Amino acid sequence: MSKQALAALQAKFPAAVEKTESEFGDEIAWIKKDQLVAVATWLRDDPAMAFDSPVFVTAIDRLDWHPVGAPPSTHWTEDRPRFEVCYQLRSSTRRHRLRLKVAVTEQDSHCPSLATLWPAFDWQERETFDMYGIRFDGHPDLRRIYLYEEFVGHPLRKDYPKEKRQPLVRRDDLPINPIKKDAR
Amino acid sequence: MSTTSGPAAQPGQSQTPAPPATAPDPNKVTLTIDGQSVTVPKGTNVLEAARTIGVDISAFCYHPGLPVVAQCRQCLVSIEKNPKLQPSCQQSCADGMVVHTTDKQSTLARQQMLEFTLLNHPIDCPICDKAGECTLQKLYFDHDNQDSRVDVPKVHKAKVVDLGPTIVLDQERCILCSRCIRVCDEVAGSHQLEFAHRGDHEILTTAPGAELDNPYSLNTVDVCPVGALTSKDFRFTMRAWELEATPSVCNGCATGCNVEIHHKHGRAWRLVPRHNPDVNDYWMCDEGRLTYHELREHRLAAPTVDGLPAAWDRAVRAAAERITAAGAAATAFVLSATASNEDNFALARLAASIGCKNVFYAGKPPVPGREDGKLRVADVNPNTAGVKAILEALSHEPRELGALPAEIRLVVMLGDILPVDADRQKELGVIAVSAHERGPVAQAIVALPAAAWAETSGTATNKQGRVQRMHAAFPAPGHALAGWEIVVRLAQALNAKLAWAHAREVFKDMTAAVKPWSGLTWAREARPLALRFAGSRG
Amino acid sequence: MAATRDVASLKQLVLGRKDVQDLSDTETELPPDLMTVNMGPSHPAMHGTVRIVLTVDGERIVKSDVQPGYLHRCFEKESEYATYTQVFPYTDRLNYVSPMINNVGWAMAVEKLMGLTARIPRRTEYIRVIVSEMSRMTDHLTCVGASAMELGAFTPFLYFLKSREWLYELLEKVSGARLTHSYVRVGGLAKDLPEDFDKDLTYTLDKIEGVMVEVEGMLNANKIFRDRMAGIGAMSKADAIATGCVGPIARAAGVDYDVRKDYPYSIYPELEFDVPLGTTGDCLDRYLVRIEELKQCIRILRQCLKQIPDGPIMVDDPRVTLPPKRDTYNTIESMIRHFKHIVDGIRVPPGEAYTFVEGGNGELGFFIVADGTGRPYKAYVRSPSFVHLSTAGQLIHNHLIADVVPIFGMINMIGGECDK
Repeated sequence: MSKQALAALQAKFPAAVEKTESEFGDEIAWIKKDQLVAVATWLRDDPAMAFDSPVFVTAIDRLDWHPVGAPPSTHWTEDRPRFEVCYQLRSSTRRHRLRLKVAVTEQDSHCPSLATLWPAFDWQERETFDMYGIRFDGHPDLRRIYLYEEFVGHPLRKDYPKEKRQPLVRRDDLPINPIKKDAR
Repeated sequence: MSTTSGPAAQPGQSQTPAPPATAPDPNKVTLTIDGQSVTVPKGTNVLEAARTIGVDISAFCYHPGLPVVAQCRQCLVSIEKNPKLQPSCQQSCADGMVVHTTDKQSTLARQQMLEFTLLNHPIDCPICDKAGECTLQKLYFDHDNQDSRVDVPKVHKAKVVDLGPTIVLDQERCILCSRCIRVCDEVAGSHQLEFAHRGDHEILTTAPGAELDNPYSLNTVDVCPVGALTSKDFRFTMRAWELEATPSVCNGCATGCNVEIHHKHGRAWRLVPRHNPDVNDYWMCDEGRLTYHELREHRLAAPTVDGLPAAWDRAVRAAAERITAAGAAATAFVLSATASNEDNFALARLAASIGCKNVFYAGKPPVPGREDGKLRVADVNPNTAGVKAILEALSHEPRELGALPAEIRLVVMLGDILPVDADRQKELGVIAVSAHERGPVAQAIVALPAAAWAETSGTATNKQGRVQRMHAAFPAPGHALAGWEIVVRLAQALNAKLAWAHAREVFKDMTAAVKPWSGLTWAREARPLALRFAGSRG
Repeated sequence: MAATRDVASLKQLVLGRKDVQDLSDTETELPPDLMTVNMGPSHPAMHGTVRIVLTVDGERIVKSDVQPGYLHRCFEKESEYATYTQVFPYTDRLNYVSPMINNVGWAMAVEKLMGLTARIPRRTEYIRVIVSEMSRMTDHLTCVGASAMELGAFTPFLYFLKSREWLYELLEKVSGARLTHSYVRVGGLAKDLPEDFDKDLTYTLDKIEGVMVEVEGMLNANKIFRDRMAGIGAMSKADAIATGCVGPIARAAGVDYDVRKDYPYSIYPELEFDVPLGTTGDCLDRYLVRIEELKQCIRILRQCLKQIPDGPIMVDDPRVTLPPKRDTYNTIESMIRHFKHIVDGIRVPPGEAYTFVEGGNGELGFFIVADGTGRPYKAYVRSPSFVHLSTAGQLIHNHLIADVVPIFGMINMIGGECDK
C-alpha cells in the first residue's frame, strides 16, 4: 500500500525524488532540498495521498557511519552530506506511511521547514535544531526547546562529547536572595 | 530485508556482477566471491579480496604484515573446480575464480576448526587480558556459537611462563598460530620463539639458549590472537573494553611510528602501533611503547613564578616583564625538537615579532648504537626535521644550541632540555614552556605548563620529512594549555601581533610560511573510538 | 461619587495609597494591563516540571509559551553509548507510569531490525501484553486520579492510587521493582511470571472493578467535576490529526486511531476489545475515554489469563540469548558467548526501522538506526507526550488560569516521555 504511494510520488515528481529505499516495511524517498515543500504540500493535499498525520521529524548524523558487516563503500566519507533530515508521515484515512529524507551538508545546515503544513512539526523541528543544529528555514519560532538558551553546541552531533560539561548559567538579572531583610 | 533502487547498495544485498571492462588491466584480476564481482591487484589473496567487499572470512594465523603459513586452517573456503577446501589466505586470486564462503562445506569447516581450537582452551575469559579484543572470542561468536561437546578433562599446560623481560606466556591459551614466531623471525630478525612437542601437548617456548628480549618483543602481544602472550607492563592494569583509542604519533624517536593511544578516564594505558605502510608498517619498538609512562611523571601542573605556583595572568605578566627588561639582543629563544611543529612555529614567530635574532633549537642527545636498520634510529627526538624546517623557513639558520653567546641573559625555551653547562645556566634566567618539571624547568624564573604530546592536537615531522598529525586523547592535567596557546598569551602580554584561536589556524599560517609543507591539509579532529564496539579488531 | 465611611476604608485597603475622594473616575477601575505570570516548573499541577509563561488579562489567558525540557536527561545520547540491553533501564524512565510498554516497544524495535519478530515464543507475547495492559492501567489510574485531585476531588485520587498500588505489587512480584522494571529483553523476557500470578491478577482486577464503580459514582455525575471539565480544552478532529495527537486525546476528539487495532502487533489480533471514541475532544471526553479504556484493559487481561500457553520465554537464538549459568562456568564456548553478549552487546545488522506500539498516551515509536555493532547508532523516541504538550498552548488559549489545571491533567503529559 505504501509502495503504491511511493510509486505515485515518483511519478508526480520525478525530478525531486533522488532515490527510493524500502526498509523493514517503511518506504523512504530522498527528496531534493528545494523541492521539499512542494512535494510535502502535494502529499498532504492530494486526495489519493492524504498524508494528514505527521509522525516525527528528526535527523541522522552520519559522521561516524562505519557499519560493521557492510561493504566499505557504504561508509561515510567527507564528500558525502553529513546529516539526513527524516520526516515520517502517515495517512489516517488511507493508512499508508512514508518517510521523506533530505540530505543536508555540514557547511550549509539548512532545511526547509514543514511546520506550517503540519503543526506537529513545529516543536519537533525545534527539537531537531536544538539537538543537531540544523536550521529550518520558514519556521515561525526557531529556538531551542529542551536546552537553555545559553547552551553552546548541539549535543546529538557525533562530535559533541557525552561527558562535556557546560557551565551553570548565572542570571545576573535575578537577585541571589529574593527575600529582602525588611520585607513585610 | 531491504531493497533499493538507487545508486548506493544496501548492506547484505548482492548485486548482479558488473560486466567486465573492455580493456582488462593486466595488473588486476576479477573474481567472484559470494556472487559479487571483485577486482583486485594481481597477487592479492582471496582473504584480502573478500575483506574489500566487507565479507569477513575468519582467520587466526594470517597477518598482512607477516609471511603466510596457512597453519590454522580457519580460513578454508570453497573454490569452484577445486575438490578440497582451500585456505583463502594462501590462495592467490585468479581471473574467473568463483569463491563461496557461506556454503555448507565452508561453514561446517569453520565451525569444526573453532570447536577444535576451543577443545582445550581454558575458561579464562574473566581473568584474561585479551578479553574484549580477543580474536578467538570474536570468531567463535560470529562463526560458530554452538554449545560445547567436550566431556573429558582438558589438557593442562604451564600457565605463567616468564619468556623474557617484557612478556609472560600462558601456554594453555595458545592456539599455536605461530604469529609470534614469525614476528620475532621477520620483524625483529632474531629467532627466539618456537614450538615444541606435538599433538595435544604442543607448546610455545623460547628457542634453545634464547629468551624473548629483542627490542620488538611487544609486537608479539599485539599479534597474538588470544591472551597467551601478555605484556608485563600492561597486564591486569586495565580491561580492553574500557579503553578508547585516539590516533597519534609516537614521540620516542625520529621514526615517528603511527600509534593509537589507548586511554580511559583521562590517562593513557598503553600505545599500540597503527598501520602505516610508509612509516612503520604494523610494528613499533618496545621503548616507544613505554613512552606513555612519562605522560604522568614530573608533570608541571600550574604556572610557577620563582618556583612557587602562580595564576596564569601573573605568570604571563612576569614573563613578559622579564623579556621586555632583558631586550631582544639579550634574549635567546630555544625551540625544541621534542615539541610539535605548531608550538615551535608559534615561538619562532614570537621571536620574530619582538625582533629577536637569537633563535636556536635543542633536543635530546642522540643515542649511539640505537640505529638498527629496522625502526629504531639514533635521534630520539620526534621533531628534529620539523624544527629545522621551521627555522629555515623563517630565515634563521637551523642552529642547534651549542654554547650560548655571552650577551644572552634570558632564555625562553620550549621543552625541558637546555644543553648549557651548569655555570652558564646559573647566570641565565629561564622562562620555560614545558610539560615536565625536569632539568632547567625546576629552576626557571617562570615556568608555564604545556600539554604533552598525547594531549596535543598538532603535527610532528619525522626523519623522512613526513609531517604527521597527532590528535589529543584527553585534556592536559591541571592548568596546562597547548604550547602555541601559551605563546599567544605571552604575545598578548608583549603587545606582539599573534592571535590564533585554534591549532588549525597555527597550522594554516605555518604551512603558508614553510614552503615544503604548503600542500598539507588539516584533518578533522579524531574522536576517541570505543574499542568495545569496534568489532574486536584483533 | 460620595462614598460612605465603610466603603472608603475598603477601597483604601484595596488600593493602598490614596483616600477614595482623591481618586479619579478612571482610577477606581482596576488596571487594564496584561500581566505575565509564570506557571511552573515547580508547580503542584505541572506534572513532571513544565514551565508555562502565561500572559493573562485578569484571569483569562491571552498568550502562552509552553517551555518543556526541565527533565531532559539525554536519553538519545546515552543510548548511543549503551548496548541495546543496557537501554532497557533508560526506557523504563521514559513514560515512567507505564514503563512496561516502553520496554516492550524497545524490544520490538530491536527484534524488528534483527528479523526475530516472527520467532518470539507465544508465551512471551502473552506476558508482554499482560504487563503492557497492566502498565496502561497504572497510567490511566494515575492520570485520572491526579487530575481529579487537582480539581479538589481527593477521594478518587486515593482510591485510584490504592488500585494502582495493587497493580504495582503484582508488577513488583513479576519484575522486582514497582516502577523501573527492565523486565523485557530482546528476544523475550528476563524471567517468567511468578507462581499463582493468574490468581493474584484475577483477584486484583475484581477489586479494581469495584473501585472503579465507586469512583465513577463520585465523579461522572458530579456537578463540580463536570462544570470544570466539560467544554474545557476542546479540540476538533482535524486539529487533532494535524497536530499529531494520538492516544486517548485523539480518540476523545473522534479520531479512530489505536495502534493495537490499526497496525496490530503481538497477539492483539487474537484478543477482543473495543476502542472508545469521544465526540468533542474536551476534558470530560478525555476522562470518559480513559475510564472506558481501563475497563477494556481489564477485559484484555482476563482474556490473556485464559489463553496464555506454557512454553519458553526466550527465543532460541544464540545471538540474543544468554547461555545457562551452569554452562557459562564450565565450558569455554558458553563463557565466550556470555562474555560477548554482555561486553559487545547484541549485534544488530545495519539498517533503520521505525517501530511503534500503543503506549498509555498513544503511538509510542522508536526510530532506531543500527550500524552492526552492539549499540544503537541513533535511537529516537517519538514521544506522544511531547506532541500533546505542543498543543497545550493552543488549548488553554482564552481559558481561565483555573482551566489550565484540568487541561494539563487530561493531556497526561508525562515529563519523562516528553523531555526524554
